[in-house]
Amino acid sequence: MTATNLSLEPPVLTPEAEALRRDVRAFIAEERTAGRLPPPRRIGLGFDRGMSRRIAARGWIGLTWPREYGGQERSALERYVMNEELLAAAVPVGAHWVADRQSGPVLLKFGTEAQKRAYLPRIAAGELTFGIGMSEPESGSDLASLKTRAEKVDGGWRINGRKIWTTNAHHSQYMIILARTSEPVNSRHEGISQLIVDMSLPGVSISPIVSMANEHDFNEVLFEDVVVADDAVIGKEGNGWNQVSAELAYERSGPERWLSSFRLVSELVDVLGPDLRSSSQEDLGRLLSHLLALRQLSMSVASMIQQGKSPNVEASIVKDLGTKFEQEAVRVVRNIVSAEDLIANGRNERLRALLIHAQQYAPGFTIRGGTNEILRGIIARGIGLR
Amino acid sequence: MSADRTFFRDTVERILADRLDKADIDAAEERHFPARLYDALVENGITLMLVPEDRGGIGASVADGAAVLRAAGEAAAPGPLLETMLGQKLLADAGLDLADGLISLVFVENVEVPAVDATHWADAALFDVPWPGAVEQVLVVARVATGHRLIVTRAADWQVAPGRDAAGEARDTITAARLPVRAVALPGGEEALCIAAVLRAAQSLGAIEWAFRRSVDYAGERKQFGREISKFQAIQQMLAELAGHVLATAAITEAAAEGMSPGLIAAARSRLGDAIDATITITHQVHGAIGFSLEYALNSRTRRLMSWRDDYGSTLHWRRSLAGGFTALDRDAFWPAVSDAGLPAQA
Repeated sequence: MTATNLSLEPPVLTPEAEALRRDVRAFIAEERTAGRLPPPRRIGLGFDRGMSRRIAARGWIGLTWPREYGGQERSALERYVMNEELLAAAVPVGAHWVADRQSGPVLLKFGTEAQKRAYLPRIAAGELTFGIGMSEPESGSDLASLKTRAEKVDGGWRINGRKIWTTNAHHSQYMIILARTSEPVNSRHEGISQLIVDMSLPGVSISPIVSMANEHDFNEVLFEDVVVADDAVIGKEGNGWNQVSAELAYERSGPERWLSSFRLVSELVDVLGPDLRSSSQEDLGRLLSHLLALRQLSMSVASMIQQGKSPNVEASIVKDLGTKFEQEAVRVVRNIVSAEDLIANGRNERLRALLIHAQQYAPGFTIRGGTNEILRGIIARGIGLR
Repeated sequence: MSADRTFFRDTVERILADRLDKADIDAAEERHFPARLYDALVENGITLMLVPEDRGGIGASVADGAAVLRAAGEAAAPGPLLETMLGQKLLADAGLDLADGLISLVFVENVEVPAVDATHWADAALFDVPWPGAVEQVLVVARVATGHRLIVTRAADWQVAPGRDAAGEARDTITAARLPVRAVALPGGEEALCIAAVLRAAQSLGAIEWAFRRSVDYAGERKQFGREISKFQAIQQMLAELAGHVLATAAITEAAAEGMSPGLIAAARSRLGDAIDATITITHQVHGAIGFSLEYALNSRTRRLMSWRDDYGSTLHWRRSLAGGFTALDRDAFWPAVSDAGLPAQA
């Protein structure tokens, strides 16, 4: 309980969740021993189809989904525990991340029986990578202004438009896009639908966008007269806005929002000795306290999701705080590196490389998946200000 | 929330509503003790709630006590409630008689204190002692070379030189040339500091929540440029930022009070430090000039936060304490240390 419509649910980690944590740690130790998990030199999820297949073999993709679709019917809090362990160890989970977190749950919630059977078991097997097609060149924070259209044709829909910032589009077999399927009458949130698009269809072209961190994760995807069948629509035609709003809550509160730069902090701690300057101790203690508070909050949101609640405002707070924390972590590591003189004269080369990459990567934390200013607008509405 | 905890919290909220108003809070700044509030707290057993049942208390958990102090902080209740609740528990745990009245409690280090079983304390002096003029006993938890010591003194035996904290509450300097004492070893001295620290965190959280809620309400009441200031994005962004501080601090404080691991407590106090800075800055900025007046109730919470944030270990103390357990770990041991319960921090 807390003030002004915000709520917390004390997270209770069950014996099953703790057993899963041990299993995931054992898996990570095996991967390390086998040389498949070297200490990371970059920030970011990492893309490794083989790793995704091995994770899938443990039953850890679609962990909460019904068994009939390849899931394990385990709790949201267990999924949380699994993810924090994988992310903290910098396991490359990028090949299945979006499908597991977002695309699969959307299909599960709004998809037809045929859609669920067609996609979910293959996602759970680690075989499918999904892209999300929301942003467009002229529609960033103002998503409802999107211009991509799906026009009704005989037996299906013809798609024309342009999506941008699509992570892993160049690795994806499918993309779930948001497109206008009819003209709005009362509100521009009407007439928008979600459609699933096979990336191998004629008329789909992908061009890379290299980030300032010199990574090719993002892409621009052009749809030119791409024809999909009637069954490409997910959920109700025209209900896409509501479906996406629900989807964003899954996206906002997970540990990926505050564990991206954790590998940098781990690398720092690895090279630190027991005796630190007092400013470094204060910086590190402050950082750890924010991390631990975020973790409690993130677990609390997972508990609320588990209980069938919709903690949308709380989830937005996790992302606002988490992404700010990610940036702060880079700043703090840089300070401690300076104060303790850790990277001069070629020392601790991996820490140096990670720190450089983290600085280049950091400006994106508070932008991707919804800017923090937009999130704060959502939070302000949630606490009754607008 | 458990049924017991809801009951404690409801009881205290009812007492606070009946027995404390703005005039009492203001009068406390003139050294008028809110006796009618404390009479009711004592009558309802709140001051003995942390004492085990076989010693005449209620045997409630620290987390229950935290829920009570959160309500007290929300109401800006003056006086040594935390000190009495914890002081009675320390007396009970040490096998000593409970106090009949209220207790003031201080933690000291680098101070010459009487040996175990000594009967007197020569040239005793204590600083920043809460409300020694309103209590029956002054308890001292002293860190000494060999551990901790609990010194029990009668408040009436001290000479009191009045002082004030940032909230205007009595924080006095007390002295005595030859003070009768009871001095015993306190094996759980570190734990006592941890309990005090997390209880003060909960009390501060209550004050933060009140200030946050009042500011959201005020933004909806105050009109400038022809509309409520809550309609301005600048105000929305500030209060949304504060909402994050409130929720994160609540999450870690509840976890710390429940789990009572030194690492979680250190984390709660460190996180609280930033939340207090943000609360003071943002709630006053949203309120504009009116919040700066003594008459307006906001400062009864924000000034308490200024005082409480350094009690039972400063923010910096707890940050160093938290970091201390992590600096000698290797890369792969770091996350397990962070995530597992029983964090390796020293109090």
